[in-house]
Amino acid sequence: MLKEFTKGIFKENPIFIIVLGLCPALGVSTKVINAIGMGAGVIFVLLGSNIFVSLLKNFIPEKVRIPSYIVIIASFVTIVQMTMEAFAPALYKSLGVFVPLIVVNCIILGRAEAFANKNTVMSSIMDALGMGIGFTLALLLIAFIREFLGAGTITLFPVGSFSGVIRIPVLADNPVRVFGLAAGALLVIGFLKAFFNWYSERRAG
Amino acid sequence: MNDILKIGSKLALICAVAAISLGLVNAVTEPKINQMREQKLMNALKKVAVGMEVGKYKEVPDNPVVKGYYPLNDNSGTQKGYIFNLVGIGYGGDLNIIAGVSTKGKILSVVMMNNQETPGLGKEAENPEYMKKYIGTGEDSPVPVRKSQLSQEDADAITGASITFMGIGKALEAASDFAKKEGAE
Repeated sequence: MLKEFTKGIFKENPIFIIVLGLCPALGVSTKVINAIGMGAGVIFVLLGSNIFVSLLKNFIPEKVRIPSYIVIIASFVTIVQMTMEAFAPALYKSLGVFVPLIVVNCIILGRAEAFANKNTVMSSIMDALGMGIGFTLALLLIAFIREFLGAGTITLFPVGSFSGVIRIPVLADNPVRVFGLAAGALLVIGFLKAFFNWYSERRAG
Repeated sequence: MNDILKIGSKLALICAVAAISLGLVNAVTEPKINQMREQKLMNALKKVAVGMEVGKYKEVPDNPVVKGYYPLNDNSGTQKGYIFNLVGIGYGGDLNIIAGVSTKGKILSVVMMNNQETPGLGKEAENPEYMKKYIGTGEDSPVPVRKSQLSQEDADAITGASITFMGIGKALEAASDFAKKEGAE
């Protein structure tokens, strides 16, 4: 059971190893806080869709499983979005833009198809948590590198008198702007992927 | 044949359950969301009004950018400007902008409302600091709509999001022209 949880973090990391969900990883990794927001959204929806898909796995006909998953995922995302906007407006303000993006995140559909429709609810929950956290950590790493080099800042949640933005001396005045743009995102992900490949090959012997 | 019917009805059932649950959630959340949006608009209006009285909303037909305005009056009831409801064209679709403009066409304040710009790039326009480059323009100096009209520092800051910048600039330019024309009449 624990293996289902830990595999998503490194061995089967959704971004660096399975290479799923690259669009949001490219799009929102400009700031550390965006990565936290997207990660939280994905963990939440992945958990919901994995639970429902594994519960309904015997009911859903094989031939129309993909449309069924999409309906489940999209409804779940919409419910999350509406509830959040109505009852947690502050959270919606910071996460709102990422929530609709989650519907098209390949990780959610990928896990429904590859895992949740063959496994029990409990293992699906573990899989969702592991994959979600793995995705979040990967996104955090990319966003940290991009924001550090590309803007010279690290943006976190504002707490009390702390504005939430840490400025890196020297870099903040002379940022390497390309890292903040799409080309920089591809470069960073490429190098990180190469590193992960090298590391896992070496570990495998 | 039977098989198709069975599969179809199962899929229809899933969709129906999804639709019903969405409808239920919508019924609960919609009034709250509308109330919240109205509150947000009122807050934005208050911020844009810079202490003046906000009059009754007037729609402007047949204008692609200026959708309507609230007249801005001072204490004695003389009209000093407008609060415009603007729709500009951004990178990700429409930009809903609320802007206070003097009767002489000077941009007094700008607030970005709903938009679908890229987080981290175009979305930066929601930050009040971003709008500083437009404020004060429109009367003596033109509203900036091109990067070359900005200082080096401002131009650097919008790198990667020039379409958002031009979209806002053009909407504000239209608002400024509208105010000047109305004022002349």
